[in-house]
Amino acid sequence: MAAASSSDSDSGRAESEASSKWLDAHYDPMANIHTFSSCLALADLHGDGEYKLVVGDLGPGGQQPRLKVLKGPTMLTESPLPALPASAATFLMEQHEPRTPALALASGPCVYVYKNLRPYFKFSLPQLPPNPLEQDLWNQAKEDQIDPLTLKEMLEGIREKAEVPLSVQSLRFLQLELSEMEAFVNQHKSRAIKRQTVITTMTTLKKNLADEDAVSCLVLGTENKELLVLDPEAFTILAKMSLPSVPVFLEVSGQFDVEFRLTAACRNGNIYILRRDSKHPKYCIELSAQPVGLVRVHKILVVGSNQDSLHGFTHKGKKLWTVQMPAAILTMNLLEQRSRGLQAVMAALANGEVHIYRDKTLLNVIHTPDAVTSLCFGRYGREDNTLIMTTRGGGLIIKILKRTAVFVEGTGEVGPPLAQATKLSVPRKTRLYVDQTLREREAGIAMHRTFQTDLYLLRLRASRAYVQALESSLSPMSTTTREPLKLHAVVQGLGPTFKLTLHLQNTSTARPVLGLQVCFLYNEALYALPRAFFKAERPQGATQKELEVLLKDRGLQDLLLPNCSC
Amino acid sequence: MAEEKLPSKTQVPASAESQKARQKKAPEFPILEKQNWLIHLHYIRKDYEACKAVIKEQLQETQGLCEYAIYVQALIFRLEGNIQESLELFQTCAILSPQCADNLKQVARSLFLLGKHKAATEVYNEAAKLNQKDWEICHNLGVCYIYLKQFNKAQDHLHSALQLNRHDLTYIMLGKIHLLEGDLHKAIEIYKKAVEFSPENTELLTTLGLLYLQLGVYQKAFEHLGNALTYDPTNYKAILAAGSMMQTHGDFDVALTKYRVVACAVPESPPLWNNIGMCFFGKKKYVAAISCLKRANYLAPFDWKILYNLGLVHLTMQQYASAFHFLSAAINFQPKLGELYMLLAVALTNLEDIENAKRAYAEAVRLDKYKMVEMAQKLGAALQVGEALVWTKPVKDPKSKHRTTSAGKPATLGSNQALGQAMSSAAAFRKLPSGAAGAQLQKPPSLPLEPEPTVEASPAEASGKMREK
Repeated sequence: MAAASSSDSDSGRAESEASSKWLDAHYDPMANIHTFSSCLALADLHGDGEYKLVVGDLGPGGQQPRLKVLKGPTMLTESPLPALPASAATFLMEQHEPRTPALALASGPCVYVYKNLRPYFKFSLPQLPPNPLEQDLWNQAKEDQIDPLTLKEMLEGIREKAEVPLSVQSLRFLQLELSEMEAFVNQHKSRAIKRQTVITTMTTLKKNLADEDAVSCLVLGTENKELLVLDPEAFTILAKMSLPSVPVFLEVSGQFDVEFRLTAACRNGNIYILRRDSKHPKYCIELSAQPVGLVRVHKILVVGSNQDSLHGFTHKGKKLWTVQMPAAILTMNLLEQRSRGLQAVMAALANGEVHIYRDKTLLNVIHTPDAVTSLCFGRYGREDNTLIMTTRGGGLIIKILKRTAVFVEGTGEVGPPLAQATKLSVPRKTRLYVDQTLREREAGIAMHRTFQTDLYLLRLRASRAYVQALESSLSPMSTTTREPLKLHAVVQGLGPTFKLTLHLQNTSTARPVLGLQVCFLYNEALYALPRAFFKAERPQGATQKELEVLLKDRGLQDLLLPNCSC
Repeated sequence: MAEEKLPSKTQVPASAESQKARQKKAPEFPILEKQNWLIHLHYIRKDYEACKAVIKEQLQETQGLCEYAIYVQALIFRLEGNIQESLELFQTCAILSPQCADNLKQVARSLFLLGKHKAATEVYNEAAKLNQKDWEICHNLGVCYIYLKQFNKAQDHLHSALQLNRHDLTYIMLGKIHLLEGDLHKAIEIYKKAVEFSPENTELLTTLGLLYLQLGVYQKAFEHLGNALTYDPTNYKAILAAGSMMQTHGDFDVALTKYRVVACAVPESPPLWNNIGMCFFGKKKYVAAISCLKRANYLAPFDWKILYNLGLVHLTMQQYASAFHFLSAAINFQPKLGELYMLLAVALTNLEDIENAKRAYAEAVRLDKYKMVEMAQKLGAALQVGEALVWTKPVKDPKSKHRTTSAGKPATLGSNQALGQAMSSAAAFRKLPSGAAGAQLQKPPSLPLEPEPTVEASPAEASGKMREK
């Protein structure tokens, strides 16, 4: 199945292959890789000049987190992870030779650092300080100075007002029923209350040199709205900055010891820009949508929003341009072709295309068999310009940029839209139409007169039919809006006595009908009625009223039924 | 969870030792926010199924304490149209963390979507107490007040939103208020500022262009529409507006090329086919004109302007019987326009129905005394000439003419319907240039704007004048 589908698409692609800028190196729809762009990293892990792909894989349905290392199209190693990886990064920890980069995986509250693919160090985020009031209360509970009910009330009070949120333990406690409280307090009172946070995103920042192979610090974004910069060797916190919201994507430039700029796209839809000496954001970009990707190209910040658009901002947060995408953006990353000095943004779209933009001009479109959910570009194996993509179904696509390929502006969809060249589909007219037209010109007057005569005749006939319907009382309806009535009669029985049921309905929803009287017109020689005239109780608001009348046949068969009217 | 309950059953603690053992067994509480990042990543890439799975798992693990999971679940509910459910979940979030303005904002937003604008304003005001400097709160309060028809308050809030942070949306809303109040000039001022702020927003550019078009400031209208087309060459509204302007200047071929783009993007747009039809009419390709207009009529059978144009073209083709039908249909939809009766009278005259023609003329006179004589003479003359028409005759006094194409429906401008009116009007506008210009010479060009909502744009040349008398 998989082979068939790939060969199908191969044959279809064969013609476009020659004109394409990409070589299809590998496509495995069953690679079983489910991940985000932030969990992809390319690095020369063994220092042998052969670049490997590191994938922090979430597993199908986010159930089996694994660390996978790929070499070329094959899996090199695969090891289970304790928790889902939020981000993966490779960085140089120290100056010593051999300069093999370390691998960092952020997961939950920890960063796992691997060297030579062996576990090397585990960094845990420091505990957050608990609320002192809360701490006090639990201490009292520990010494049994406070009963669970009071404890609950006090904690409730803290929860509603305090700046520092409660620990999980207290929150859980607040949810309990009265009967469970005491047991809970007994069980947990001697435990120190803890507040732990988790890492949401991670990136690397050069320490003091701008070189490509310079020592880098890890920059972490945490769930409690902070950014931390870690020392590459000692893993101590070098700097801590706070944000108004939880960071989702990070982008850095500069060196930690000199000057740097941190850009954080946050969950509240804003993007904050921080500088070296600022503890708080210096600039803020309000996107009024959720950012789905953040990439810095030279000095321009390119942000993809979940409203299917790509925005460019200066490093001070001024909006430069906006490009509308044909479908939702799933992920974004940077494309850097060093040999030609090109930096561009790749955006994977939900319609199975990857668009490559330089500023606002579209350079290239890659069609993929499935929607791409993560991608990265860089040196892989021994090939400088490799594009690695994973798809929604867990597939892996590897493409190599041809060495002769040059991205030229205008090869994308620019200039007048293609649609302008297509002809208008003006409906054609037939010979018959022309003949009819000519006939109308010649005999227009006659046609008009015939039509008018026919129209009058039609109207006349309609009126006649209407009058007839009224006269024959076939389920007659009142025509005036003042008396919105419908009358309907049913005769039951074989004779000589019949039952005549009249259904009287008020057809208006708003107007009541008052003072109705029912009168029967009939041939007295044939029928006998107990009462030929009586008052009907008013039918109201579209309700039906049934009136039953006994009718006696005087022996003569007659098809004519009595006329009733109101 | 099960583990937790175990000790509570074996309540009576025997010794300190066993208690200690039990305490060791007491489970570590999972970190509430453990998978928030994953929920968020799934949410922003619109993978709602995966997102819901993670949310479910997370809520089970934390016994419904994870605020962010509930928050995103509510957002998804809202996207799926279950607004009531989303409202309830957001209220839960607001209970979980009462200090968070964001939860209140979402509660208000859901209330707003449910149409409970009053309640929404109350919650927004509550949120504003927690967060003073949030443009979103100010903006949404403004929008709520628009729906509550308290335009002054709405303006205040929108202006303060602009002071906090400038957003295109706020400008658009402010512009809308001015249009609802019928103040075209103020609306233009707002849109001008908006365009200054974000010069590449095609929606702003197009709206500004259309507003200028309504005012008859053709140069500026064309400039802005052109700008909009530079940034988005497939912008439907801008192309139609620009095309109709080209038609007024007789550039039928250019207009037709532009319409091709729209025909590809929105092939079922009535104003588009109306305009294409009138382009062909201008090029004297009457059969094509009729085909296109008939398609427009098929797509929008109740649009009297298309019927008007159909009547006109059939008159030109000397198909008086057909013309009669289209015109009488148009009159059924728009019984207050003198021009329609004039055309009908011409058709009836040619059908030798003198008595009814007289009545139609009388009705036209009743509706529009001044123009009637002039127009009818020209039309009558023209129609008898048949093919050698004067339709494409250049406009005598373009300047004064520009001022005449006024009015329009300010209330709904920007919406497709209004656009349709503006468009088909502009197209229909050129159909009687001689008549219009002639009438213009009689009347000084002091035609003010009339924001009367029932007045339609183009034949508003005529109807606009009636009202002056």
